[in-house]
Amino acid sequence: MSSETSATTPHRPPADEQATRAPAATRTITYREALREALREEMLADERVFLMGEDIGVFGGAFKVTDGLLAEFGEERVRDTPISENTIVGMGVGAAMAGMRPVVEIMQLSFALLALDQIFNSAAHVRYMFGGQPTVPMVIRMPQGAGHQLGPTHSHCLESFFLHVPGLLVAVPATPADAKGLLKSAIRDENPVVFIEHKSLYGMRGEVPADLGPLRFGEAAVRRRGSDVTIVGVSRMAVVAERAAERLARDHGVSAEVIDPRTLRPLDLDTILESVRRTNRLVIVEEGWPHGGVGANLAALVQEQAFDWLDAPIERIARADVPMPYSRPLEQAALPHEENVVAAVLATLGRGAG
Amino acid sequence: MAVEIVMPRLTDSMEEGTVVRWLVAPGDRVERGQPIAEIETDKATMTYESDSSGVVLELLAEEGETLPLGAVIARLGDPGEAPVHAAPPQGDGAEATVPEGAAPQASALEATAQRASAPDASASGTTASEAAVSEPAAPEATDAARDDQERSDGRLRASPLARRLARELGIDLATVKGSGPGGRIVRADVEAAAQAAATSTMAEAAAVASGAVTGADESAAPTPEDAAVAAGTEVADRAGAANEAAAVATSPPLRPAADIEPTATPPRPEGARGASTFEELDRTQQTIARRMAESKATVPDFALERTVDMEACRELRERLRGRIDPLPTFNDLVVKACALALRDHPRVNGSYRDGRFELHERINVGIAVARPNALLVPTVFDADRKPLVAIARETRRLVERVRRGEITPPELAGGTFTVSNLGMFGVDRFTAIVNPPQAAILTVGAVAPRPAVAADGSLCVRHSVVLTLVLDHRIVYGADGAQFLARVAELLEEPLAMLAAG
Repeated sequence: MSSETSATTPHRPPADEQATRAPAATRTITYREALREALREEMLADERVFLMGEDIGVFGGAFKVTDGLLAEFGEERVRDTPISENTIVGMGVGAAMAGMRPVVEIMQLSFALLALDQIFNSAAHVRYMFGGQPTVPMVIRMPQGAGHQLGPTHSHCLESFFLHVPGLLVAVPATPADAKGLLKSAIRDENPVVFIEHKSLYGMRGEVPADLGPLRFGEAAVRRRGSDVTIVGVSRMAVVAERAAERLARDHGVSAEVIDPRTLRPLDLDTILESVRRTNRLVIVEEGWPHGGVGANLAALVQEQAFDWLDAPIERIARADVPMPYSRPLEQAALPHEENVVAAVLATLGRGAG
Repeated sequence: MAVEIVMPRLTDSMEEGTVVRWLVAPGDRVERGQPIAEIETDKATMTYESDSSGVVLELLAEEGETLPLGAVIARLGDPGEAPVHAAPPQGDGAEATVPEGAAPQASALEATAQRASAPDASASGTTASEAAVSEPAAPEATDAARDDQERSDGRLRASPLARRLARELGIDLATVKGSGPGGRIVRADVEAAAQAAATSTMAEAAAVASGAVTGADESAAPTPEDAAVAAGTEVADRAGAANEAAAVATSPPLRPAADIEPTATPPRPEGARGASTFEELDRTQQTIARRMAESKATVPDFALERTVDMEACRELRERLRGRIDPLPTFNDLVVKACALALRDHPRVNGSYRDGRFELHERINVGIAVARPNALLVPTVFDADRKPLVAIARETRRLVERVRRGEITPPELAGGTFTVSNLGMFGVDRFTAIVNPPQAAILTVGAVAPRPAVAADGSLCVRHSVVLTLVLDHRIVYGADGAQFLARVAELLEEPLAMLAAG
């Protein structure tokens, strides 16, 4: 993992920051910086917001998202914890019920499996079980994804686990701007939010308006307009889908529409349906496993509601149905790539891969 | 336990039926024998009575929807039973049948990975094939496997969108060639078919108009639908092959092309003939068009013609007038004469089928009856054994039922020979198209006074009729046909023999 190079925005008093915002409308920053900005701005705006997780303080986070925040906000609000995932989340649930707004970080989404009891049975259901008396306004941040030769237990993409559970909101931002805007709204939301970041995106740069506010959950982003096929890309696969669409336009004359749902629950199904009814074809790209996955669910929803508009079977692209290999060539072979998306689009159009 | 109501076989030849109207609604109590739907077959619209009792749980076929025999159209059961909206997935055995050879591009790598990381060897087989389906690396390989499977079972492949468009545009999917994977019919194919149909209709209309079909000038050219209808009737037989071709080509039902998306609208067929309108063929018309074209294409037919003196028949009718009711028509007399003659000429009463002569035990004479926009041929069963007056009664009843649209498929089936009469329209003589698998059809022109030569060689005026016998040469040859026709003539010229017979 490359070390964080960009300087942490020096601490400025709020008034000062306000003053600098107006002229600098948009900057190009990394996904990592965007997340850090969101955390910092929300901590400044609301003193109930605090961070908790393994190595997030002194070390600045395994992926350096929280770098500098300990120095700025102190140990009370940026708390290093032992390796104890279920307890970290459980503490967060308790704090949230007690009126705080915890943002807990699980170092790898794969480790969240240790905390599933607290995530599913407590965070997701407490509000329901107590008749709405307590709310659980917490955020569980977790990095997911393969591509870094970390073997089967550090490479999961398990959006579908959390999507499966009523009571949880699930965000899967794919751009720096979405990362910032969605994290801000996640922190402000009264519900527990599983905030899934993709490890390969942290270094990605993108334009982010300096004064970007919270982005609404349940609003998909149409990354590219097109008329021949709709490609829905989840998490980092939204980026892959967009690159595939560019190649499709350039090499094959195919006009692909690319939709990034941004949040899986709530899901902006309307935007996807509207697009599919125009293009009559759908290719879903995700990095998770194929069975019982986000794509499987979306395919079911679309065929239920747009069956009569489909001109071809819905194509799904997912990682190979295997534990993620450690070997680099095998890992790459098991992951979805741009060319897979291109091939699937051509297949759904009834055209050969040539 | 819920009972499935399936599309019933209401006629021998039907392969699919259209639910014209539901007579019950979900929640209704239905008793066995109660009419529940009107179903249009290839021959007629019939009321379908339920075979079982129960409460209508759901109606699965929409009104106007055409479904193959055996398709589930409704479910009956106990009131408490929930409808099953989602049919089980069918046909998509791709996952199970993807051969392991059809592995993804990355198969070698993945197989290695699986072997390395999935110690459960028994699981790895299914995992590999499942991966081939959803595995992104292998769309082409997966497709190839799917294609092979789809081609093998002969099912009609069409995307949901194509099916919907075809329904909206009135295109018969069976007539559309699919360009998608595995021959799947996709939107573009349906749109192309709609355009082609519109275009070919224009072409055929032009062909009909320019041919010497009616002798009419262009402005009086028949519309395409007239041509299609006419091709099903003997009138058009004179028009020759071009006309039949028109009937076949227009047999897929058409709708104004304006129903297609605006971008796909073909030019309106305007010009010297002004704006055209299109009419869809109903199922009967489609059947007529198809069968007549099949007949022309497969039956080597020839015609024999004979003028028959009808004075004796006229006299017989005059003498019977007021004495028997109903008074037999000339056509009834012809039917009876044919039936008796068929006894002596079994091959004229037979069928050429699969390289064999099929001779029928019963003599069932069909009579061609015109109905607006259709031609139906109800059957007088055992016409050789029925007294003339019974035939007269029977034909009146059948004609009435045809005109009222009450005729049922059993009454239209089983004919072994056909008599077609256009004499009432003043037609002197005409040929017809053999109604397969029958071997022959006899046409009857007008009974009218015509110059004749008397026994002494002098000219006189006598009532006569021209009979034309069209035969399938595969089973009836010239001399056989001539002898049969001679026997018919003999019976008509001495009709008392008919009264004595059978």
